[in-house]
Amino acid sequence: MRLLTHNMLSSNIKGVTNGFPLRIEAEKVVEKQVDLNIDFLKNMFPKIEWKALVSASRTMGYAELPEEVEPSKLDSEEFLRKFHHALLELHLEEGALVCPETGRRFPVSKGIPNMLLHEDEV
Amino acid sequence: MDSLTLFCTGALLAGGLYWFVCVLGPAERQGKRASDLSGGSISAEKVQDSYNQYWSFFRRPKQIEASEKVPDFVDTFYNLVTDIYEWGWGQSFHFSPSVAGKSHKDATRLHEEMAVDLIDVNPGSRILDVGCGVGGPMRAIASHSRANVVGITINEYQVKRARLHNKKAGLDSLCEVVCGNFLEMPFPESSFDGAYSIEATCHAPKLEEVYAEIFRVLKPGALYVSYEWVTTDKYNGDDAEHKEVIQGIERGDALPGLRSHVDIAEAAKKVGFEVVKEKDLAKPPSEPWWTRLKMGRIAYWRNHILVTVLSFLGIAPKGTVDVHEMLFITADYLTRGGETGIFTPMHMILCRKPETAKSS
Repeated sequence: MRLLTHNMLSSNIKGVTNGFPLRIEAEKVVEKQVDLNIDFLKNMFPKIEWKALVSASRTMGYAELPEEVEPSKLDSEEFLRKFHHALLELHLEEGALVCPETGRRFPVSKGIPNMLLHEDEV
Repeated sequence: MDSLTLFCTGALLAGGLYWFVCVLGPAERQGKRASDLSGGSISAEKVQDSYNQYWSFFRRPKQIEASEKVPDFVDTFYNLVTDIYEWGWGQSFHFSPSVAGKSHKDATRLHEEMAVDLIDVNPGSRILDVGCGVGGPMRAIASHSRANVVGITINEYQVKRARLHNKKAGLDSLCEVVCGNFLEMPFPESSFDGAYSIEATCHAPKLEEVYAEIFRVLKPGALYVSYEWVTTDKYNGDDAEHKEVIQGIERGDALPGLRSHVDIAEAAKKVGFEVVKEKDLAKPPSEPWWTRLKMGRIAYWRNHILVTVLSFLGIAPKGTVDVHEMLFITADYLTRGGETGIFTPMHMILCRKPETAKSS
């Protein structure tokens, strides 16, 4: 599961008001090389919850993303490479996504996050 | 016969058998092989039991009382049939109007590309595939539109297969798959630029429930298109044969009650959507979608023999023969549904979430 996906997942357990972002428990992280696509990154940037991406990538062992991003940074290839790496090349293979409010763990196995709720959580 | 003639005859027969079974057999070259048929996430020794439980749960599809159990049984259904579908049909688990001069694969692709054209998204948009199966449509749509597609399916085995295919197709940077229930989607509200569902929402006991979730996760102004399985205006609820055909379709496809075509727009409006367009894509001048099922008769018999032999040898799980036969009988009901015109799997509805939206 890439951080691009993590950035759009939230806990939807009944009664939870703020289920985003899910905390990451990383047991196995894998890096997979992906071709750089600058247009894609520029297009994606406004849709990304930046703080969530920064803390998620730190949990996965990558601390290169800046806390704040001024618009001019989008023209810097150096910044875009870091953004690209965090968003698309870091994969959570084994671990869990944890609801920030209830602590409930959604397992991630072989890269697949299982977000199915139990009967009592609906 | 001298030994040379004997040898040549033997080689010819072996070659012919290989061609008939292995070349003509699978829906795709280098796709799923018959020797790899499994019960999805269900272990081999539990397949027969799972099938029996499934078959009795869906005995009276419109009268299912424990509707909260439906998602589990839909999950069971897809564990049982996913491999057979991939082997015998392909990676897109849906119908398409046939197109003169085009292969089934191409006709399928055109049908899928039309769906994404209707929701009018740009490259880099983020769109949701509700009920994505093993991702056949997702891959065609991602490569056609260059949008980022996120698929959700309740079946973990399908997620595995989808990711495998995405990687093989070189599309795993554009496509992502999540295991979840589309009645309770793990996405924040207003997070998608568009959404589509191809013959998947039929598994929801109440259509408004899945439509409400899709409404919630779409951004205001975004479009949603669905290809729905419905009974048409030709369907007569008092006609015993009509009822038999529809019940046969429901039971063999894990459907908790097929809806009428008039129910679709009603459900969409109820949850807050504006209905932009509605059309039965099966109506003329479209060519029949069911001819593909009919042509499969010879294929069925060959596959039936193959599956029986593999089951006997212990290579395919016990129960695979029953599942395969269920699908064949269901194919017959689907064909009758198509020929009589009482059923369509492609009632298209295009909806918009209003710009200034209030959730209902």
